[in-house]
Amino acid sequence: MSAIPAAPSDVVVAVQDLTVTAAAKTLIDHLSLDFHARSLTAVVGPSGCGKTTFVRTLNRMTELTRGLNVEGAVRYLGQNIYDPSVNPVVVRRRMGMVFQRPTVFPMSIFENAAFGLRIVGAPEEEVDAAVTEALQRAGLWEEVKEELDRPALSLSGGQQQRLCIARALAVRPRVLLLDEPTSALDPAATQRVEATLQGLKEEIVLVLVTHNVGQAARISDRIAFLHSGKLVEVGPTADILERPRVKLTEQFITGRYA
Amino acid sequence: MVHQRRWLVWWPFAFALIPLALTLAIVFTLLRASDLQDFGWSFWGLDVSNYGILVYVTGSFLTAVPALLFAMVIGLGIAIASTTYLPRFLAAVLDPVVDLLAGIPSIVYGIWGYFIVAPFFGKNVFTWTAIHLAWIPGFKPTHDSSLPLIATGDGLALAIIILTLMILPITTLLMRDALQAVPRDLWESGLALGATRWEVTRRVAVPHAKRGVWGAAFLGFGRAIGETVAVFMVIDQASKLPTNVYDGTSTMASLIIGSIDSAMELNPSGVTELHFLCELAIVLLLITLAVNVAGRWMIRRTYTEVAGL
Repeated sequence: MSAIPAAPSDVVVAVQDLTVTAAAKTLIDHLSLDFHARSLTAVVGPSGCGKTTFVRTLNRMTELTRGLNVEGAVRYLGQNIYDPSVNPVVVRRRMGMVFQRPTVFPMSIFENAAFGLRIVGAPEEEVDAAVTEALQRAGLWEEVKEELDRPALSLSGGQQQRLCIARALAVRPRVLLLDEPTSALDPAATQRVEATLQGLKEEIVLVLVTHNVGQAARISDRIAFLHSGKLVEVGPTADILERPRVKLTEQFITGRYA
Repeated sequence: MVHQRRWLVWWPFAFALIPLALTLAIVFTLLRASDLQDFGWSFWGLDVSNYGILVYVTGSFLTAVPALLFAMVIGLGIAIASTTYLPRFLAAVLDPVVDLLAGIPSIVYGIWGYFIVAPFFGKNVFTWTAIHLAWIPGFKPTHDSSLPLIATGDGLALAIIILTLMILPITTLLMRDALQAVPRDLWESGLALGATRWEVTRRVAVPHAKRGVWGAAFLGFGRAIGETVAVFMVIDQASKLPTNVYDGTSTMASLIIGSIDSAMELNPSGVTELHFLCELAIVLLLITLAVNVAGRWMIRRTYTEVAGL
């Protein structure tokens, strides 16, 4: 620890010189990036730029894919999560994840939201309170409070995705990783999810992978532009959109990227 | 030209009606062959000398139900191991072996069961259980002197074991396919919440694969209750209820194959016997039909339950 300079107090996740390779291919190339408290960072870039791989390294989901080799460090509150002494299960409980498709489990709405608490054997009153709170924070409570026992799969796609957000929030993570969470949703449902995320960024660190520049413009504080596994440019959303310093960034955000 | 077109319009219906026609033909001709002679009170009774079927129905369920339970538990274990825990190269070896086992003809199981498994289990397992597990209901031999008979191995217990092995491949591969169909991101969602592989298997993957599990149960039961040759060879055929697990008895299917010869030959009561076997076949057919319908209903209900549709 002592060899590394102390991080500024509001840095929650610090990615340091991260490289991910698969066989001979480099997916992430010496990437360094900090994520600050109370902020929503949009990670944008063309398909295949490595943004999904990148977000999956943040909570060690990369380990579930065979043949990926991760080098460098991802520090969560100063601690390198790739340290051999760190249990990935603990990392994942601190950094929740929401996927492209809604991934509700085949059980009731309530049990979905309670899943992360059930597996650690949380007492019933605690589960009740946490589920209610998580559903409120995810902006789903008003729609489902009368029918918490209904199968979660009977909800609409947008509601399912907000339930997945609630499920991740129920274990009180400090960071929420979202991998193109609205790519399977219609515009109205997308708008609800975006409103939910905007409400959340006051409380936790949000990392949003998206291929949609419009979405990044609407809700992010900061944009990180990735290309070929490299971080091309990162800065406040308005700066990146209005005054990109790199030609490639400009081409991508104006839709002229070939 | 016109004729040709009409033919083109009707042929799918003709083909589609074949299964229905076949089912009706089987039921109708069997009913005719049976002459409906025995469907009286005694038919549903235990008195085998009076053509009662209850002994055989009991025998069928006594073998099929435990075999199904074992095959489901072991099959689910293999399916979970292969889809979730085994290294990929091991699963790649194991999975085709299971598929291969599913295709072994039942006569092979029968011969193997009778000549190899029966004496082995008789000497090494059943003799031991008869002495040491006699306190379990059904495991106590009728007489102490019956140990040499138990050592031959054939009887109800062996029939259950052979049946379990016979239906195990089909239950395993159906459940394995259902578990393989669980979407990858559903798995990852569970793991991303800090669940272990076992927790995701138990709480997410198996419930997601519920339809496959029910399908395996009903298909496995259908096979177990209809299995004929192998059961006949290892059950120590006897037209009576078993008094313990080492005892011989008969299932509906094993009785039919065991009596068909004597029913066909000289035997003056042969005509009656043939009627009786046809009736028994009808009962067996109705049971499998009922299981099939129950299975379909159950699978649809599970779907509604999970998806809320």
